Order: sequence, then structure tokens, then C-alpha cells
Amino acid sequence: MFHRKSKAIVALSFLMVALLVVSGCAGSKSQTGNSTTPADSKEPIKIGFLGAKTGDVAMYGLNTLKGLNMAIEELNKNGGVLGRQVKLVEEDNAGQKDQAINITNKMISQDKVVAIIGDPTTGITRVAGQIANSKKTVILSAGATGTNVVEIGPYIFRDTLLDTIAAPATMKYIIQDKGWKNVALITSKNNDYSVALTKIFTDAIKANGGNIAIEEFIQDKDTDFSGQITKIKAVNPDVIVFSGYYTEGALLMKKAREVGIKAIMVGGDGLQGDDLMKIGGQAVEGSISYAGFSPEQPTANTEKFINAFKASYKNEVPDLFSAQGYDALMLIAQAIKDANSADPEKFKDSLAKTKNYEGVSGTITFQASREPIKSPVYLLEVKGGKFSLLKKVPVEVK
Amino acid sequence: MNNLMQQLINGLALGSIYALIALGYTMVYGIIGMINFAYGEIYMFGAFAGLVLASYNSVNVYMALLGAMLLTMVLGVIIERVAYKPLRRSSRLSALISAIGVSIFLSSLMVRLKGPNTRGFPKLFENKIFVVGSFQITIYQIVIIGVAALLMLGLQLFVAYTKTGRAMRATSQDQDAASLMGVNIDRVVAITFAIGSGLAGAAGVLSGIYFNAVQPYMGLMAGLKAFAAAVLGGIGSIPGAMIGGMVIGLTEILGVTVNLSEYKDAFAFAILIVVLLFKPSGILGRKANKKV
Repeated sequence: MFHRKSKAIVALSFLMVALLVVSGCAGSKSQTGNSTTPADSKEPIKIGFLGAKTGDVAMYGLNTLKGLNMAIEELNKNGGVLGRQVKLVEEDNAGQKDQAINITNKMISQDKVVAIIGDPTTGITRVAGQIANSKKTVILSAGATGTNVVEIGPYIFRDTLLDTIAAPATMKYIIQDKGWKNVALITSKNNDYSVALTKIFTDAIKANGGNIAIEEFIQDKDTDFSGQITKIKAVNPDVIVFSGYYTEGALLMKKAREVGIKAIMVGGDGLQGDDLMKIGGQAVEGSISYAGFSPEQPTANTEKFINAFKASYKNEVPDLFSAQGYDALMLIAQAIKDANSADPEKFKDSLAKTKNYEGVSGTITFQASREPIKSPVYLLEVKGGKFSLLKKVPVEVK
Repeated sequence: MNNLMQQLINGLALGSIYALIALGYTMVYGIIGMINFAYGEIYMFGAFAGLVLASYNSVNVYMALLGAMLLTMVLGVIIERVAYKPLRRSSRLSALISAIGVSIFLSSLMVRLKGPNTRGFPKLFENKIFVVGSFQITIYQIVIIGVAALLMLGLQLFVAYTKTGRAMRATSQDQDAASLMGVNIDRVVAITFAIGSGLAGAAGVLSGIYFNAVQPYMGLMAGLKAFAAAVLGGIGSIPGAMIGGMVIGLTEILGVTVNLSEYKDAFAFAILIVVLLFKPSGILGRKANKKV
């Protein structure tokens, strides 16, 4: 009995000491935080990366990260921003909204980041955006192309080619230039991006004189599409327009080829992932999707980036997400320099005034609504198992 | 009409996969009265085993199928020994929780081993389309329905005509009495797990061939639907599991046909609820007359 009691006392006192140490640490930390605000100190400027490093959309996150790391290396080599080094805080949200919420909260309150870059997907950006905006931290999505993102508030930005600009340009091309009028439209119902993109596609198909012969629905993570494909085969479409992501796109096309459908797939930048070809193989050959970036026919600015990227990543050619990730960080660095402050409350205004910024992923202008206009739209085609440039469609800034 | 015929074939192919997994649920329940909720994950392991085997050029579809079945049989027996046998005499709840634990462990293990991404399945043989009258059937569908039918027939014959089969039937009627008559219960249970797991493994490879997609969490939904199929058919009944699997597969595809694809996963469970409300013993199940 006595023995047990003494054990408990030892345990309790140990716990109390531990608590004291922890609270002591926390105390000293908050003290330094108070005496010199992070905006003026010489400590590194912390920028968070929000995105998936594992899971179904990991490709987006990992490639964004490569671009971010390049930008940071370049900045720090040239003396940093406002004389301070830039430091990246990275976490993996695995493409899950609940994870993203935890990570966003942690980055803002614990790591004290001044800005978050990411998430590359629209759904998570909307969720993380709510948090960042309410805590007055800038969030710049290097990938979200869906609707209702910057509307969340003055701290929300993105540097992507918008679906509302690119999707109509793509439909105009396939219906008017290619003459594919008979469309089978497929939506992934549990994917925010896909549902929103389908709306834009639908309007654009109608506006260009196309005909939606059949509209089918799938869900992300589905693997059996035989029911939908059988119905699609019956209407013999000229083209299959799919608004979802690459994994389901690849599986859909494999099933379509299995039953003898010849039509190719056309979709948004959700199809931009190497897994499209890895899973889809021959079945996705010829598929068309749009992107805000192509390494082919580069501008001088872009060429410099591509060469540096190749040097850093074993001759790998950067993709859209790497380029947008790079631009995102550089845009924020520029805004911090212009505002002469790393305080998000101040540099968010200079960021919003960005006009004709020559990024590596195209020319970027923020409208009054903070929505970006990017030019040009790149139409890419899968050729020999690779995305290759089909057409550059310029976009006018009004 | 053609379209409907086509959809029926799609439904049968999908149903064959559910039926194969459902057989495992039903056999184990029939013999020791427990639900092995890890069958979905054994199916997933079978699919990955098939994926690994199929990536060797010299492996053909039969070798991939047999290899995966052997591996999952061993896996099934190990699971039984480690996670269920020590709990055989304790409450059903303990065994159920242990089964759920095993299933989470297996899918997490696969994430660790192979990563969480969806992977395509290597092509084991060329696909062909056969046009029969006004509808068509692909060679993949023929292989899936054919292999599943053969395995199910084999199982039925095994249980009906072999000595081990008789021992299984005896055990399912009364474990203690069978044991007194010289049946080695441990052996019978191990064989039951091996067979059920082998069938789930085969289903995994077939689904890999058919859907072209393999990922570590694929077992959860497939396992739940197969469980619904087993209950629908009358848990404990082998023909019941086959019928249940087909019904679930067909309903799912018919749901897509009538533009309700958003609810296709819900159909299996809606059926399950209806069956439990109106005929809890299932289509072919006998009324349980247990002594209280």
C-alpha cells in the first residue's frame, strides 16, 4: 500500500515538474513574441505550405513544394526579403479537410507564419481560407481554380488560371475548331471542384452550340464505372468531357476503351497529373486538358526557371504546380518588399495591387476582386504518355 | 432494352466479386458464429498480391490468381490463429472488435508498404469484345463471371462431398458434438478461414483486372457490401451468399442505370435494412431455433 502511494507521489511530482518546464518554455516564447513583433524582428519570415504530400492528390502538393523550395533557395541566396531569411513550414494534409483545418490553425497560432501557400485544391482552400481570413493571415492558393475562393475575404489570394476563363476557352476549341458537338459530360459528385467545373462546362458547351447528349455522375474513389460507360456508349458521343481528377479520369477512360468507345476525354486542370498516364496508359492518349503552364515555347523568364529547376531536380521538367508554387512565393516576397513589412495586414494590400507581374507561369494581374487574370491558357494533349502543348490561347486583361 | 441487358452483365460481373467475398463471411459465421470483418482487407491484400505478381512478365493470369489465393489463404490462417482463436470462447463482441482491429491494421500496413495512391493494374491479357446478338460482353467480364462461378461451384462440391466438407457441416451444426465424434475443430476452423480468405484473394485479383484500380482502402466498402450480401442471402448459407452478392451487384448497377449513381453505395445498405426488418434470416437462411 505504502509502496503504491509513494509511486503515485513520485509520478505526480514528476508530472508537476514537467508541467512547470513546459509552461516556462511557453512563457518565454510568448515573451519574445511580445517584445519584438514578428513583423519587425530579424528572425526568418515564416511561410506555411498547405497541401497533400500523400494521398490521391499528393502529386499537386509535392510538385508545389518543389517550386516553393526553389523560390526560397533563390530568395535566401540573394539576401532574403527585407534582410530576413525566408523559412518554409510544411505539413501534410493528405488531401483531407479535417487535417487541413488542424494544420492551418497550427501554422497560424503556433508557427506564426505570415502567409500560407496552398492548398492546391479548391475545396480545402475554401476551408483553410475561412480560418486564415479570420486570423488575418494571408493565404495564397497555388492551384485552386474553382469558384467562391477569394470571396471569403481580403486575405485570400490565388495565382492560378481560373476555370471561368480556361474552361470556356477549351470548350470553344473542341466544339468550334474540332467540331466535336455531341458531348458526354461526367461529373464527380463528391468533388467540389468537379461540380463547380461542370457548371462552367455546361454553359460553355451551350454557348458554343454543342449538345450535351448525356450527363453522368460518378464519385471520387469509385472504381466501377461499367454502368455509366454502358450508358455513354449508347449515345455515341464525339467527346467525353470529364470535370474531375486524374485518377478517376484514367479509370473512366480505361473502361471506355474496354467497351470500344473511341471518343477522347477533355477536362480541366484536374486531369494534370502523371498518374493519369500511369493508370490510364494507352486509354488516355489524346486526352485534352487546360493548364496555366507549359514548359514548351517558354518566355525568357520561364526558361530561366525551367533550367534552374532541372539543375535542382535531376533534370526533371517543372509542371504547372511547381511553376505556380514558385510564383506564389515570389508574389508574396514582392508584396512584402513593396509594403516594407512582413505584417500580413500591411502586405496584403500591396499584394492586391499586383499588375502584369511576369511570373514563370504566365502574366498575373489581380483584379479589384483579387481574382487573378492569367494569360495565356495552355491547351495540353496527352501524346506518347506525356502532356504536350496543343495550343496557346491568349487572355485579354480588361 | 439492349442497354438494360448490357447493364445486367455489368451487374453480374460486379456481383461476382461481392459474392466471392460474401462466401468468406457466410462460411465463418456458419461454422463458428463470428463475423470476420477483415475479409474486405484480405480482398485488398489479394488485389495487391495480384498486382505484385502481375508486374512480372512471366506471370500469367492463372499464376497471379493462384499465387494471390495461396498468399491470402496463409494470411487468413495467420489472422485466425493470432486474433480470433484466443477469443473463440469469449464473447462475440471481443471477436468482433478484434476483427475490426485486424482490418484497420491490414489497411494501414498496406499504406506503409505501398503508399496510399491508387494504382493501375498491369495488363495480364488483351481485352476483347464479343458481340452476342445486340449486346456485347468483354473478355474481362467473361473471366470474372466464369472464374467466380467455377470457384463457387468448387466450394459447393467441396462442402457437399469431401470428408473435410462433412466435418465442416458437422461443426456448423454442433461444435461440441462434432468434437466428440473425432472432428478436429481447430483444423476445420483453419480450413474455413483459408478457403474464405482464398476466395476473397481471388476476388481481389479479379477486381484488379476488371476495375484496373488497386488501393489500400478498397477493402472497406467492398467488405461492407459483401457483408450486406451475406446477410441478404441468409448468413451461414453458401448459395445465399452467392445470390446476395449478385443482388447487391445488380442493384448497384441498376441504380446507375436509372440515374441514381450518387446513391449507389447506399443501395446495398438500404436492402440490408429492409431484409433485417422483414426477413431477418435472409433469402435462403433458416430460422434460428436457438435454445435460450
